[in-house]
Amino acid sequence: MSTATTPTTSITLTAAESRRRSRPHAAWRGRVRRLPLALITIVLLVVEIYPLVWLLLGSLKTQSEFMNRPTWALPQNWANFANYATAWQAGISRNLLNSVIAVFPSLALIIVFGVAAGFALEVMVWKGRNTVLLLFLGGIMIPSQMILLPLFTVYFRIHLTGTMWPLVVTYTATGLPLTVFMMATYFRAIPRELFEAATIDGASLLRSFWSVAFPMMTNAIFTVGLVQFFFLWNDLLLAMTFTSGSGHNELATVQVGLLSFQGRFGSVQYGPTMAAICVNVLITLVLYLFLNQRVMKGMTAGAIKG
Amino acid sequence: MQHLTFSHVRLVAVGASVALALSLAACSSGGSPTTTTSAPTTTQFAFLGLNENTTVKDVLTSLQSGACASTVANYPLNASAYAQAQYDQQLQLLAGQNALPNLLVGPNAPALAVELNTAGDLVDFKQALSDVGSPNALLPAAASVVQSLYDGNLIGLPNEFNIEGVWYNKKILSDNNITAPTTWDQFTQANATLLAAGVQPWSVAGKGGDGWNVTRLVGNYIFRSLGPDAMDKVAAGTAKLTDAAYVAGADAVSAWGKAGYFGTAPTSIDYATAMNTFLTGQAAFYYMGSWALGDFNNTDENQIGADNIGFLPFPDVTGGTGSHDQIPANAGMPLMMSKAAYGPGSQAWLKCIADNYGYTSLSEKGVISGFAVNQTISNLPALTQQVQQIMASAPSSVLWFEAKFSAEATTTSQNDAGPLAEGTMSGADFMAAVQADLG
Amino acid sequence: MKRVFSDRKTIIILLAPALLTYTLAMLVPMVWSLGYTFFDGSLIRGFTYTGLSNFTAVFHDRKAGQAILFTVKYAVTITVGQVLLGYLLALLYVFYLKRASSIIRTLTFFPVVLPTVAVSLLFSKLFEIAPTVGPVNSLLQALGIHAMNWFGSGSNAFIVIAAMDIWRSMGFYGVLLYAGLVDIPDDVIESARLDGASGWRLARNIVLPLSWPVVVSAVIFSINGTLKVFDSIYALTGGGPGQQTTPLTLYMYQTSFAYGKYGYGSTIALTLTIMCLLVTLVIFRSSRKDLTA
Repeated sequence: MSTATTPTTSITLTAAESRRRSRPHAAWRGRVRRLPLALITIVLLVVEIYPLVWLLLGSLKTQSEFMNRPTWALPQNWANFANYATAWQAGISRNLLNSVIAVFPSLALIIVFGVAAGFALEVMVWKGRNTVLLLFLGGIMIPSQMILLPLFTVYFRIHLTGTMWPLVVTYTATGLPLTVFMMATYFRAIPRELFEAATIDGASLLRSFWSVAFPMMTNAIFTVGLVQFFFLWNDLLLAMTFTSGSGHNELATVQVGLLSFQGRFGSVQYGPTMAAICVNVLITLVLYLFLNQRVMKGMTAGAIKG
Repeated sequence: MQHLTFSHVRLVAVGASVALALSLAACSSGGSPTTTTSAPTTTQFAFLGLNENTTVKDVLTSLQSGACASTVANYPLNASAYAQAQYDQQLQLLAGQNALPNLLVGPNAPALAVELNTAGDLVDFKQALSDVGSPNALLPAAASVVQSLYDGNLIGLPNEFNIEGVWYNKKILSDNNITAPTTWDQFTQANATLLAAGVQPWSVAGKGGDGWNVTRLVGNYIFRSLGPDAMDKVAAGTAKLTDAAYVAGADAVSAWGKAGYFGTAPTSIDYATAMNTFLTGQAAFYYMGSWALGDFNNTDENQIGADNIGFLPFPDVTGGTGSHDQIPANAGMPLMMSKAAYGPGSQAWLKCIADNYGYTSLSEKGVISGFAVNQTISNLPALTQQVQQIMASAPSSVLWFEAKFSAEATTTSQNDAGPLAEGTMSGADFMAAVQADLG
Repeated sequence: MKRVFSDRKTIIILLAPALLTYTLAMLVPMVWSLGYTFFDGSLIRGFTYTGLSNFTAVFHDRKAGQAILFTVKYAVTITVGQVLLGYLLALLYVFYLKRASSIIRTLTFFPVVLPTVAVSLLFSKLFEIAPTVGPVNSLLQALGIHAMNWFGSGSNAFIVIAAMDIWRSMGFYGVLLYAGLVDIPDDVIESARLDGASGWRLARNIVLPLSWPVVVSAVIFSINGTLKVFDSIYALTGGGPGQQTTPLTLYMYQTSFAYGKYGYGSTIALTLTIMCLLVTLVIFRSSRKDLTA
């Protein structure tokens, strides 16, 4: 203990002693005091888990069950997998593949470009770097609705419409501002001497970026990567605009595909929608549990500090 | 070596934009309207439809492999679809690039179709149908509905032809000793009787943009009280929705809402729920178009039985100049063709559609279209036949409340319909909000 | 040594990919759209120069005013809710659950992953009144309170929207802020405890000041997201009833793409961008010391 002056120590001792003496009482009191917290924790768990259960049950219900029975009712037929068949026929496997094709390359680009730019803006020393950082920061504030029309026009003119490229490029660009900003902040926390030790000249600086700086950022990369992943995976607006011919067609992502379970005049086919969501959630859940340990460590180790 | 100044960075940025500009200039010759083809002898026939309505695509697919197998063989169908909510946006983006597909479902907003036509993007079928040798392909009534919708231009093919009115549950009415009402006042009385007996009189949807079935009541009330040209006067600017005679229509609906005739919470009810409420016998009246025949004839959905459903024309309003035999009619979202992409492929398909769509649509999908049906079809459901009879005997038709509105006024009208039906918005407020968007 | 870190070629290699992509696919389109603010028209009709009339129109547009008010109300409520509940969760993790918190953190984090369409479907069912009575209204009835039509008025619908978006993201902010709390050295807290601080006072006087920079970051992060809300409201209420829950982004989207007024839509988007900028600057300024410390 850093405050190891005599008076404090004596207080510590007294406190510890008194605590030891009244132990049974304190423990009991402590448990009572903690009861509300335990309750809160349980409520929290229910609030978080019930929706998942509801989704799963919903995927087994027929349209008429949705319409005519209470929301919390159990499915009448536990082996009703017709919704999954419908969802599968509507092409959710294709949608999933499209989402993967659009999101993961973008994610890789965002991270590589973002870390490099963060390094250039924070570790490297040059005039104007603050201006460029601010330029990136400004990008966080641009609503993506604003860039839709010009981008659509350009993609069309250079014949990218009908491919996955518009999504990948747009995702990468919209993900960069936040990533660059956060990476720059992470690098700020690392003493420059660390890179100096590994660097002799300009050429080896690049190498030390790859071999020293990049690995040091692993936790930060996981954190930012996760945040970006959810942004991109859940994107509806850009996907709607750039996946020319959506719904049952070749380019629709998962989110766009989910919209296709609406009948005419906006009537929702609840069962197949739920089934499609369940498949989607299951895959994300697997991915999430797989990455979770890593991510939690990343987010804990590299808090976003301004 | 602190030499990289901001000006360098700016140079990079400028260089980048120059590169973009160059790439734009290089490609500004314009994109080809159709997608690339796999075989050199065939040209794909691109069709753009809605996720929510696969009937058109199904019928076209069936035509391609059946009736028109020989004539359109060189122009294979390439169908894609958008969600209805994003449809108009996509059409605008495509039209802006001069890249409309050969055949498309018309936009949600008739005003947008007129705009496209003014810009010279659409085929006029009056000429085109005679060119392919099928000048009489359309039912005159359907053609006139399309024309009145688009400022007199025949730019849409009526792949649906619908009449609208009040469907009612015969058993509920007879159980409560109510004879089918024919005037608005009789309806009001029937509503009161039903509500007192614990029956929800009407099933309506008012959630989000699903409120159009409520504004149909408003519009039809106005057509009955002020005559079939009432909404044309609003479009021409010679009358305003805020005029007392127009507000009366919204007030009449709002009064029903306040009295509880539309159920507990119309703002929570979407289209499918409203349909289900009626088809499970939980409401006596239901305003809907004849496209719902598919649901009515579906024994899984319809638990009250098709022969238990009756049709009433929209009621007269006492002292009004309109009449109940002016049946509200529409052509769904008519099919349109791009002028830029119009060529031998489009012509072959147009000929095919003109001669065969009506029969295939009715026999395979049970959907009544505005095309003349060249063969007789046996074993049509009784309710469908009944609707065909009403169509054939109706002397004239009217459009609907929002038909001549801008997209913005349409959105406002249909979104505010829920609160109107719930009685939380007064008729005057409703009309003022819509009129504000009409300018 | 300094010279190495100023090597121009290295800087260009590192910075160019990001800057180029960002400039081409965001800044240029942004400036392009800014140009549209001086025009009236659509892609189909073509554009005509109208000077500043789009800007004066924003000030007289009743709907734009309503949308701005709603956006601000939403952003403030959700940001406060997200960060506050997130912070409480983080406190729970650090001081109560401790080592056992991993599984709870994982579970509360998970709603962020759910598709918007799924979450909105869930909440519209939870708060349903007709045709069947949903769980929330059943609970109200059991407590002797009248069941409510949650989507019948703007203020009620707002409660559902707020509940949904806070529920969805509090776990995310919990983990984010947890990271800041964990970094507070144990001995600082221990010695404060020994000085008699406990519970609320400990949190307010020791924990909060020490984790303040992370909180500010979270607030900036949150407010920029909430000012730009689109998906969740679009999927849950579609902006209704009437216009009452329409945020600026949705209004902009409708104006540009449904009503075909692209110039005016861009002007609305610019208004939103300026709002984001102002809010960020204010937060940035007011906590500059914490951030640069």
